[in-house]
Order: sequence, then structure tokens, then C-alpha cells
Amino acid sequence: MTDAKRQQGDRLSEAAAIERAKQGDAEAFETLYNLHKRRVYSLCLRMTANTAAAEDLTQEAFLQLFRKIGTFRGESAFSTWLHRMAVNVVLMQLRKKGLPVVSLEETMEGEEEAPRKEPGAEDPRLAGSIDRMQLQLSIRALPPGYRMIFLLHDVEGYEHNEIAEMVGCSIGNSKSQLHKARMKLRELLKTSRAEKATKP
Amino acid sequence: MTCEEFERVLQELGASHGIEQEAHLKSCSACSDLVSDLNAISQQARLLQASEEPSPWVWNSIELALRQDGLIHGSQRERASTFAPLLNWKLRWLVPLAAAFLVAFGVLMHERGTGQPPLSGTETARLQPGEAAMPSDDQQLLNTVGARMPSMRAAYETNLRSVNAYIRDAEQSAHSDPNDEVAQQYLMNAYEQRAMVYEMALDRSLP
Repeated sequence: MTDAKRQQGDRLSEAAAIERAKQGDAEAFETLYNLHKRRVYSLCLRMTANTAAAEDLTQEAFLQLFRKIGTFRGESAFSTWLHRMAVNVVLMQLRKKGLPVVSLEETMEGEEEAPRKEPGAEDPRLAGSIDRMQLQLSIRALPPGYRMIFLLHDVEGYEHNEIAEMVGCSIGNSKSQLHKARMKLRELLKTSRAEKATKP
Repeated sequence: MTCEEFERVLQELGASHGIEQEAHLKSCSACSDLVSDLNAISQQARLLQASEEPSPWVWNSIELALRQDGLIHGSQRERASTFAPLLNWKLRWLVPLAAAFLVAFGVLMHERGTGQPPLSGTETARLQPGEAAMPSDDQQLLNTVGARMPSMRAAYETNLRSVNAYIRDAEQSAHSDPNDEVAQQYLMNAYEQRAMVYEMALDRSLP
């Protein structure tokens, strides 16, 4: 079976599961949960870096979704709808904890400066030398707002128009945050590589 | 085109470059390195796609909540019946084992004891009419959860009450007909759910 046909099959089974879930079918709810649990949990885990918190947020996101499933009309993709719930749940949790969340409505003017390119010795390229573990640690070190956009775009593969809808920002803002996230990661990865090089 | 102008366009256009940007890249090693690095980060990030899974209790809790909300129709017994063809009489010995497991949990909770007082008259008075008082080990667990995570106490209490009601229902069915393998499986499911609630609460309560 080709990937396209498999994806079409998945969409049909998801559509059928949504309709059956609206009728109260337990198996349908579980099907929808199993189809999306990894992506939602992964997003929550990368935002919180805590498995217990991530599981609680995953549960909350799915409960919010399932309680409103009767209102789903298919205007957007089900996964987008679900991820929007997950993003809201995560952001609310971060705000409750008083953690600084970079405003997703920052305009392009007057934003914090992107990491500067320092003059000096040539710095070798990162390509081919990015350690996966180090990348995960660096992602964790990003400010929550940057981290969210980066995860949704570069890890989960959402487009900027989808991200803008999910998090409630403009497309321009989404692009700006993504660029800053990548620049910050570049800085963190280079620093980490330099530190390793100096260790005995 | 300056490097600043190039970066501004890069932010807007991402991977696609116009003729002017391509020309700048050919002449500027710093911007060329920048593009290469950002692409490498983006490509590596795609490999980090979801590989972890939440533990089974997450779905169990969701299902319990949806049943309480009345959003799931049909009894849990109907689900248990799907296991009937797989069951054999040997499963009966697992029932007392599950009970012993739960007793061990209760002893463990008692030994861990937080010094919290047993169910008080005020707490008993909060019970709704017809609602059974919670066993002392459940109260102990809730007191531990409440001490460490006050905001989660109510959710755990709701879960425990639902699971205990499930166990009472299952025990009644199993005792009324010990040869009913579906009822035995139903009871096993109920004990497993209770064990999961305890495991989840302990995981979150330990410092």
C-alpha cells in the first residue's frame, strides 16, 4: 500500500471514529486517542520536561477535546483542533506556574535582539555534527514561546498558517519566533560543542 | 545586499531564496554557514518526532471521566465480554492474587503514613447520601496526595470512588456466579484500575 493510500485510509478511519465517538462509542474514543496520543504527549513532554506533568496535560487536552467533540464540524483538521487544545493546556499550565512565556503577539519591531554573529575565528558548521541528545537539551533551554513554535513547526511539521491558528498569533509572528528559536539553538549548540572541545 | 538584509529575508522566506539572496550566499561565507546550520537544526529536529508514549493509566483516567460525564454509552461489562473467548478457568487463581496485591498496597501506604489523622467526623459528614465511606487506605492515599499536590486531591478522590464502585459491582457479579469467566475478567480489570490509580498517585507524591 502506498503512503498516500495509507494516509487516506487513516483519514477515513479517523472520520468514522469521530462520528461514532459523537454517538458515545467507547472504542471510537479510544481509536482517536491512540491515533494522536504520541504527538500530543510528545509536545507536552518537550514543553514541561516532566513525564508526570506531561501525562496530566495529555489527559486534560484529550478530555477537553472529547467533551467538545459534538461541536466538531470538520472545518479544520482534527489533529489541528487537538493540538490547539494541547497548546492551550500547556500555555495555561506554564502561566499558572508563573513561568515567563514569551508573548506570542510580539511584533517584529522592538523584539529582543537575535544572537549576534561575533567576529573572530571561523566557527565550523554545525551540519553533520549535531548531537541528538544535545539538541533535545538545547530545545529544553529555549524560552517557552520559542520552544512551542519550534516544536510545532520543525518537529511536528505544521505550517505557519496552522501554527498561527493554533496559538493565536499572526503568521509573521510565527515566522519570527521560529527564526529566533533556530538562532538561539544554533548559539546553544555551538556553545555546547565549544565546551566539550575544551574539556580534558 | 547586506548580511542584515539577508537575515531579514531569511526570516520571512525560510528555505526559499531569490536570485539576490543566492548571490549574497555565494559571496558571504558567514551567511552561507548560517543557512547551513539552520537547515541542519531543522532537519535534525524532524527526527525528534513523537516516539514516547504516555502510560496506560492516561487512557484509563480519560475513559473513567468520560463515563462519569455520560459521554460514553454502554457498560464496561460489554468490553470485558470481548475477552471471553480468550479466558480459561485458570484465571480464577488470579483473583485472590490481585486482592493480596491490593492489601500489600494498603500496608505500604499505612507504613508510609504521613501522620495525617484518620477520616474525621467532618469528612464523614461531607459524604453525599448513599455514598459509601472510603476505606482507610484510600483516605491515607488521598491525604498523601493532598499534602503534596492539593489541586489534584479532588480528581484522585473522584477516580477512587469510581473505581471502588466498579470493584463493588464486579465483586457482586463474580460472587453471584464464580463460574462466570466474564465476571472474573471484569473483576480483574477493576482491580487493575485501582492499582493504576495507586501507582499514579504514589509516583506523583514521592519527593
